Parts: sequence; structure tokens; C-alpha cells
Amino acid sequence: MNVDGLPQPDNAPAPRTCWRIERVSPELARLVLDPPHRPKLAVLDVPTLRDLDLALADLSDEEDLRALVITGRNPLSFAGGADVEAIGTVTDVDLARRVVAEGQELFQRLYKLSKSGGGKLRTVAAVGGPVPGGACELSLACDYIVLADDPKTRIGLPEVKLGIIPGWGGTQRLPRRTGVPTALDLILGGKLVVSRKALKTGLVDRLAKPERLVEIAEKIALGEMKCRKKKRGFLKGVLVDKNPIAGAIIGSQARKQVMKQTRGHYPAPLEALGVTLRAPRMKLSAGLKAEQDAVVPLVTSPVTKALVGLFFGSEAAKKLGELDGRKARKIERAAVVGAGTMGGGIARKMALSGVTVRLFDLEPKALDAVEKEHSKDLAKRVKRRRLEKHAAEAAYDRLEPTRELIGTSRTEFVVEAVAERLDVKRAVLGSWGAAMPAGAILATNTSSLSVDDIAEGLDDPSRVVGMHFFNPVDKMPLVEIVRGKHTSDEVLARTARLALDLGKTPVVTSDCSGFLVNRLLGPYLDESIRLVESGVNPERIDKALVEFGMPMGPCELIDEVGLDIARHAGDSLERAYGPRMDGCLYLTKLLDAGFLGKKTMGGIYTYKNDKRGRPKKVEVNPRLAANFEREMSHAEIVDRCVLAFANEAIRALDEGVVQDAATLDLATVFGTGFAPFRGGVLGYVDSVGTSRIAEKLKAIATSAEIEGAVRVQRFEPAPLLLEKAKNDGKFRS
Amino acid sequence: MTTSSPIVLAAGLRLPQARAGSAYQTEDAGHLGGRVARELLARTGIDAAQIDEVIAGCVGPPHDQANIARVIGLRAGVPEAVPAQTVARNCASGMQAVTTAITKIRAGEGSLFLCLGVEVMSAYPLIFNQKAVGWFAGMMKARSAFAKLGAMAKFRPAMLAPRIALTEGLTDPTCGLIMGKTAENLGRDFGIDRETSDRFALESHQRARVARDSGRLGREILPHLARKARSKDAALEHDNGIRDEQTMEALAKLRPYFEKPDGVVTVGNACGITDGATALLVTTEERANALGLTPLAAIRSHAWAGCDPTRMGLGPVFASAIALDRAGTTLADMGAVELNEAFATQVLACQKAFASDAFAAEHLGRASALGELPDDKLNPNGGAIALGHPVGATGARLLLTLAHELQVNDHELGLATLCIGGGQGGAVVLERRAG
Repeated sequence: MNVDGLPQPDNAPAPRTCWRIERVSPELARLVLDPPHRPKLAVLDVPTLRDLDLALADLSDEEDLRALVITGRNPLSFAGGADVEAIGTVTDVDLARRVVAEGQELFQRLYKLSKSGGGKLRTVAAVGGPVPGGACELSLACDYIVLADDPKTRIGLPEVKLGIIPGWGGTQRLPRRTGVPTALDLILGGKLVVSRKALKTGLVDRLAKPERLVEIAEKIALGEMKCRKKKRGFLKGVLVDKNPIAGAIIGSQARKQVMKQTRGHYPAPLEALGVTLRAPRMKLSAGLKAEQDAVVPLVTSPVTKALVGLFFGSEAAKKLGELDGRKARKIERAAVVGAGTMGGGIARKMALSGVTVRLFDLEPKALDAVEKEHSKDLAKRVKRRRLEKHAAEAAYDRLEPTRELIGTSRTEFVVEAVAERLDVKRAVLGSWGAAMPAGAILATNTSSLSVDDIAEGLDDPSRVVGMHFFNPVDKMPLVEIVRGKHTSDEVLARTARLALDLGKTPVVTSDCSGFLVNRLLGPYLDESIRLVESGVNPERIDKALVEFGMPMGPCELIDEVGLDIARHAGDSLERAYGPRMDGCLYLTKLLDAGFLGKKTMGGIYTYKNDKRGRPKKVEVNPRLAANFEREMSHAEIVDRCVLAFANEAIRALDEGVVQDAATLDLATVFGTGFAPFRGGVLGYVDSVGTSRIAEKLKAIATSAEIEGAVRVQRFEPAPLLLEKAKNDGKFRS
Repeated sequence: MTTSSPIVLAAGLRLPQARAGSAYQTEDAGHLGGRVARELLARTGIDAAQIDEVIAGCVGPPHDQANIARVIGLRAGVPEAVPAQTVARNCASGMQAVTTAITKIRAGEGSLFLCLGVEVMSAYPLIFNQKAVGWFAGMMKARSAFAKLGAMAKFRPAMLAPRIALTEGLTDPTCGLIMGKTAENLGRDFGIDRETSDRFALESHQRARVARDSGRLGREILPHLARKARSKDAALEHDNGIRDEQTMEALAKLRPYFEKPDGVVTVGNACGITDGATALLVTTEERANALGLTPLAAIRSHAWAGCDPTRMGLGPVFASAIALDRAGTTLADMGAVELNEAFATQVLACQKAFASDAFAAEHLGRASALGELPDDKLNPNGGAIALGHPVGATGARLLLTLAHELQVNDHELGLATLCIGGGQGGAVVLERRAG
């Protein structure tokens, strides 16, 4: 294998160091993946592929060898798949083709050494822990896969999540092994499965406890232990997998499903569908060629670069929970004040994630409601087999409702979710701070007040921090960790660790009004209302932005958030930032009439409960009483809303609200759902070009509609943008 | 290492007691006990790893939680390294949990115990009868289709008649009497009539009502929303067996339940079938102080005694005699007495036996009676007739209620005692601690 010019890590080791060949006997060899340059989790990067090639060459010369076991440095650590960092850097199509081809050929070599490929070795992959992507494809090239039966084990082909498809034979070997429907499920969904499911679907041939994994794999390789290969029945094989008509039907169903989920923004699942579906009807070599042709353009596509960027962004976010290079001390016992939707949601999430939580509210009914919701939610998870019954019971127990400020002598952390009033929040954190042990963290879930203001007057402001969740808590992946001017590093790291323990992605922001997410949403939502006011149909606006890649349109989002909440947030932004946040009063009459959005079954749209009692959108609220005659192109609508968002984002970046552009983009994707395939708002600005964006903003700012408006600054290009635009520089390098 | 420091109830808490089939209909005993234990641990702020053992009294643990103490400990967040045992002494199981802890402390086997009494009588099962069990076994053994058919054909309708665990549990197999009949025996022995029994029952409801409304009972109660509560349910705030509207007329209308037509025991003057849980932290005074806890009460003495199973209701008299002697005190010194109201007739019989020289001479081997037990000292906040009798929980509940009573009304000493199916009595003498 010629590695010249292929992307390599900086600390690539010398040849023949990444795999250990262990000769157990003349007949049996163990190939152990143990690359010295990846001490934590091995990755199938160029050096490890090179060394696998060398190892296979060495072994193929051995006369007596008939059994080969491929495994990791321990039963629960094989490899984290292909080198994602390298995928992020490849922009050259020829280079991409070489990387794909080298991997395919290497795995073909392994396959041809194996009995099923006509070779003389019985090859067994003995893997466990995370076995994603390339690691799974390597296993698929062996005769047998024995998987570690352990809760930590996850196996699958998650490539579509990075905008690509399996490129080292996964789309070919998996459908041959499991049949087309199962393979499509795994490849298009990109989900990793637990060991039991992997066995059930036929992805692997046998499970073994980690302690005996290698021993059993060796016995199978030597033929001392029988392992029945899961075979697709003849009927299904012929009637489903090889039948072009069945293929067409499955294909059109799957295509519909994919289009519904991706709205056509992500090419990878469709490409994967094409090659996987045809796999059983093609020769392996032809199939591999087809796979190669499909994956190469994806590797270099902007979508992949954007998704890889987000992947590294969320990996970097995990570091926020560290202090001096080690994980910050875990919060075991927390408290939440206020059993409303937000407080209840936070408390339930904590209990579910293994944190003991006291939920305080003076109102018994509010506590009852949270407990019932908790119970219902847990039952649903048990029913869907996401949670075992005993684990659900434990999660139920961990939520401790209380009506009195008692039982807090061992509580390490409190977050308040009470009324957005400075005096109330201060009083709550003051009294809890006094009742909890010294050094316990006092967090506020405020969205519109300043953390520093709340901390003022508390005896130890260094333990005060903002922890801003988004509604609904269970679904929204972002948590803004707001650093006040006195907040200590330890408090910040422990709070971020808590967010990570809850399965959230934390982003640290400074204590500015609206923090990051609400600050950017403010002008964006306001522009959409102003467009409605000017006569553009809300449905048209929503459609334009959904097509752009937002998860829902801005008008629907306002209804979701609540007109009252949106107004409140807008007002506080206006107070903090002045004219450029000038809010439109168009919705006042709806507000006054009690139309507060989805929660009152009416806002910009009207809603009606469906059969399952969930509100569904009906039509534009007739109370808006306009005939919406203004024709505006989708592109214009997008520019008005998204550029208002982007310009404010650039200002926030300039002010240092978040650490860097990558963090800002991560926050926009996880906090607002900003089109992930565009890599976040600054990724979008870069892709259009900073100078082009600056021009567009100028054009809007000087248009007749905006020029005389109070908010005109909103569209005057931010100074940092103008600076970048001079030589069309980029925010994301 | 043994200790000379007095043993104390360092803290305690209970859930409101609910008539079976009402608020806790969907409850699980492990969860019920876990909830109250968890809250007690949070409120005391002690590190649960320091607990030497979790001891729970329960008469009928769910079939999947035979050692329910272990389930409760783990559900309450007690670390895995802390062991747990379930104890049983019928209606006194909750008191047994505490006396087991006392014995262990005295023997030097630890100094900090989480004790509970817990019972969900709502969940007592119906059981397949022996014939049906045999039929099922035959079905399981049958291999071939023909054998299966043959086994199936052996089904008889009689197999559908269930055995009721509750009724069988309340019947003493050694004398064949259900508990209510033992109370009828006492009614005849001591000449207690229907009206006196009904009046006592009415008084129990009235006292409980006052204690509830004044917040007296609230001191010991943690409001509780049942596991798997339905959407219209709310947390239970108080014992729901208290009948505010109870009258003599209404009581008089009830038919005798156990002996028709002339018996005196009715469902109105007997305790109800109930669900409940009580948790107590038992330790030494020294240890309590070190943990920063202000004890509710100290334990002066305890005693268990046996008696005639057909007159098991007199158990309190036998046990109290020993406990009072051990404490070096007399009935007259007791500021309050919690005597479990299994049946009004049975409590009234005990009251007479306490005061009877003849009874003392014949059964207790003493020259004179234990003494008068004045009405005002007896169950001042009502008893099981109003509050309910979750069998395994009651023993602990009596101690918790008495400990608070000593504090609230500034009594120096108090006695908690109950009768036990099978012919036993249990008694504990408590001494007030500052509260």
C-alpha cells in the first residue's frame, strides 16, 4: 500500500507498529490493533491501514496458518472507525478516491484470505465497545463476527451522520449478510445498535462475554467450536433481495422516508439507498466500484465538511466539563426550584440521567403534575424498550418532590426556574445558598436577566452561574452555561459536566442580554413578523426558511415559544441593545385577544387537536385580517431573516460572547436548529462569501423599506464582517 | 463494643395511611417504603453509608420482594454495601424492626439503623387453589399434543375459586379463628357491649379529626402521590380513614361482621384494611448528637409476651407489664398510651384487664392490677379505627405518634403497645427528649 500523499496524523508511528501479530500456535494467529499514537481509542487512519496491509502480507506467507482472529487491545476497545479528522481535510476528489480505494482493496485482501472469499484462513473478528463505521466494515470482511456482550458495545454504520456513506465495502457486505431491509435500516438511519440487536439482525454471528471474547473467537477460528452463520433464508434471499420488483418497492418506500426526513438537503442517504439496494444483484467487485463512485463526491462535499465540523465542535464541547485536564467532580445531588414546565423538565431529565434531584415548589399540584409526567414518560420509555423497568423505577425514585426548603444539607447544586423577576430569583438563590453546604453551586435558568445582577448581594458570587436550558428540555440538545464576572472555573466546569451528564451539549457564553441563542433569534423572528405585517403570507415565510434548512419556520416557532414569551424576550433585548433590536408591535392585538400561540390553540396560526389530542396547525389566524398580497421570493425572505440573524451573530462573535466561530456555529445548530448541513450560521456566511453577505446587508439597509426604520442598524454590516469582507476572508478556517 | 448511651428514635416520618383500594391502590410496597426512607435520609442529612443496617417490618411483602427491606434500602439510595433484613411478627412487625435494632445496638452490632414498617394491603393477592396449581403443573409437564389435550381436559370449574390471601392471613391457623372472632371472645369475657364499642370507635374518629385539623398529625406526615397515580389523582395529605361525619346512629346500623346476629364487632368499630409506611432512625443518643440530630424520644424499655391465641387482643397487657417493670416505672407514670385499635372491643378489654386485680393475679402473677388507664391518656389522637392499620407498618407508626405526643404535650413518659395475631403482645416505653 502506497501511503505517499495520503492524509496522516502528525504523530504517525513507524511501519509495523500499529498491529501486533501474536502467534498462538502454528495454525492460529491473533492480529491485535494497538496503535501507539492513539493511546485512548484506536482509529483506522492511514498508518493503521498501512500496517494491516503489511501484517496480512506477512501472514499470507505462512504455510500452516489456518485461523486468524482480529481484535482490539481489549475486548471493549477495537476502533472508533475511520479517521474523521482526515475526512474533514480531504477536498481533492482524486485524493478522496485513493483513500476509498486503498481501504476497499485492503479489506478485499482480508476477504480473499478468508474462507468465504476463497482463501485458506477462517477469519473471525472479535470486537466490542464502540465498533462504528470502518471498524464495522473491517469486521464484515471476516468470515465471522463475535461481538462482546456488554452494555458498552455499539456497532453499526453511522457514516450518513457525517454526510457520507460507508465506503469500505459496508454497503455491499452488509446487505449480503443481513438482507436488504435490515441493511437499509442500519445504513440509512446511521444508528449504532446494542449487542443483542446486532445478533438479532444478523449483523454479527455470536455474542460472548468480554472476558471470554477472544478465547471463543479463537475456538471458532480453529473449528473447535461451531458457530452457525446466520443465513438469509433462500426464499427471502431470492424473493426480496434479488428481486428487482421487490427492490423497486422497498426503494421507493425508503426514498419517501428519507426525503421526509432530510427534505433533500442531505444527499448521502439517497446515495446509500441506491448502492445498498442493488448490492445483492451485483458482483462484489462491481458493487464496490459503485460504492466508490457514490462515496467519493460525498467526501469532498460541503455538507460533509459542515457535519464533520459540527462533530468536532461537539467533541470539543465535552472538554468544557473538565478542570485541569480531568473530568470535573460529578454532581450527584441537585435541586430544582420551581415545578413549572421548565423546572419540571429539568428535574425529570436529571432524575433520568442518574442525578438525585429535589424538586421544590410551594404548589402541591405543580409537584403532582411533574411526578405524573415523569411516571408517564418513564412508562413510555419502558414500553419502547429504551429503558428497563428497574431502571425506570430508580429514575422515578430519584426525583424527590418537596414543598419545604428542607433536606438540602447534602445538595451540591441548585438551579432555579422561577418567575423572571430579579428580586424573586435573588431571594430564591439567597435562601437556598444559605440552606445548602458552603461551595454548593447556585445556578439560574434565566433567559432575560443578567447573571451578575442576580449574583449581586449573594454572599459568594463565585458560585453563581447561568444554566440556560431550552424548551422542551428533553428534546433540545443545547445548554448555555453563562459565566458571570465572578463565576469560578470550578463552578463553570462542574455545571458543564452536569449538562454533559444530562446528555446535553454545553456552550459557555458571556453574561450579555439574551446570551447567544435568544439574542440571535430576536432579530430573526422580528424580521419574520415584519414581513407578515408587510403582507407576506406566514406560510410562505415558513416554507422559505424550511427549504433553507431550518427545522421549522419562524412564524411556527413564535407560536411554539409563545407570543408572550417572545415579546418579553424581545423587549429585554431592545432595552439592552437599543434601536437595532426595535421590536415590531404587529402581534399586539393577537396578544391582547389572548392568542399566545400553540398553548392557547391560536397565535399566528390556529390549531386544532388531532385524534391523539396533540395540537395540529390548521390555517393562518383569521384575526390577522390581511390578504397577504405581497409577493416576495423565497431568496429575499431568507436574506431578510437569516442575514439579520447572521449580522447579530457576527457582532456577538466580535464581542467575545462565545469563545470562537466554531462554538458559535455549534450553538446555532444545537440551539436554533440552524441548517446543520450548512455548518451553522457562520459556515453559511462563509459559503456565500463574506463580501457577498456584506453587500447583501448593505443593499437591505439602504432599501426603501428599511432605510428610514428605527432598526436600520440591524442590517448595517457588523464591523468584523466588513473587515473580513475586505479580502473575502472566512470566519471558519 | 457495647454502649451505655441511651438508645433513641433520632428521627421519624410517615406517609399518610390510606384505606386499601383507595389512594395507594396502584402502589408498590418497595416504592412506598423507599419514598419515606429516602425523604427521612434527606431531611436528617446523614450519609447513608454510615447506616449499619436497614430493617423493615412487613407482614405480606410482594412475592417479588421477599426481603423488602433490601428493596427499600436500595430504592431510598442507601449504598449497596449496607445490608438489609426484613422482620415479621404479624401486626407488630414495624415495632419488631425497632426492637431488633435495639437488640443489635446493645449487642454492639452497630449503632445506626434505618427501621421501617410498611404494608400495602391493597396488593394482597388472590391465590390459585391447590387443585388449580396441580392442573397447571400437569399442563407444563405434558409434552406431546395428545398429552396436552389430556391434561387440559382435567380442568374443573372448582379450580377457578381463588384463595384470598387477606382473609387467610388474618386467620390464626393454630386456633382456626379469624381475628374478629378473638375480639368477640374478649367482648364476652369482659362484658363489653355493642354501644360501648361503637362509642369508642366514634371517639377515635373525633380525636383523629381534631389532631388532623390542628396540624398535630401533620408533624409526622409526608404527603404522598402514589406510584402510577392517574391524571386526576392528587397527593394524599392525610390519613384518609378518618370519618368526619361518623355518628352513633350510622355505627348502630352496621351488622356484626364476624358473629351474626349477636356479635359486637362491626366494620365500624374495627380497624380498616390499610396501606402505609413509617420510617424511624434508631441510634444512640451519643451518635445522634454526633450526627447533629435532635432525638424525638429515648427508648426506656421494650418487651414481647405471649398469651392465649384465642384472646390475642390482650397481648398489650402481658407485654406492658414486663416493659413497665423493665423501665422501673408504672402505668400511672405514663403521660400517654398508644394502644393499637385492632378492635374497639379489644382495646376496651385491655383497659379493663389493666385495672383488674383478679386478672393481674390470675394471668400476670402479681398481687395487684397494673393500674387505671384513663380515657384521656389512651390514644389521644385517635387510633387505628380512624387512622387505619397497615399491619406491618403500625408498630412503627405507634412509636412515631407517641414520640411526637410526648414532645407536643410535654409528657415525660409514654407507652406504645399492640396485640399480635397468634397470641402475643409488644410494648415499648418511650421517654421524652427535647424537641
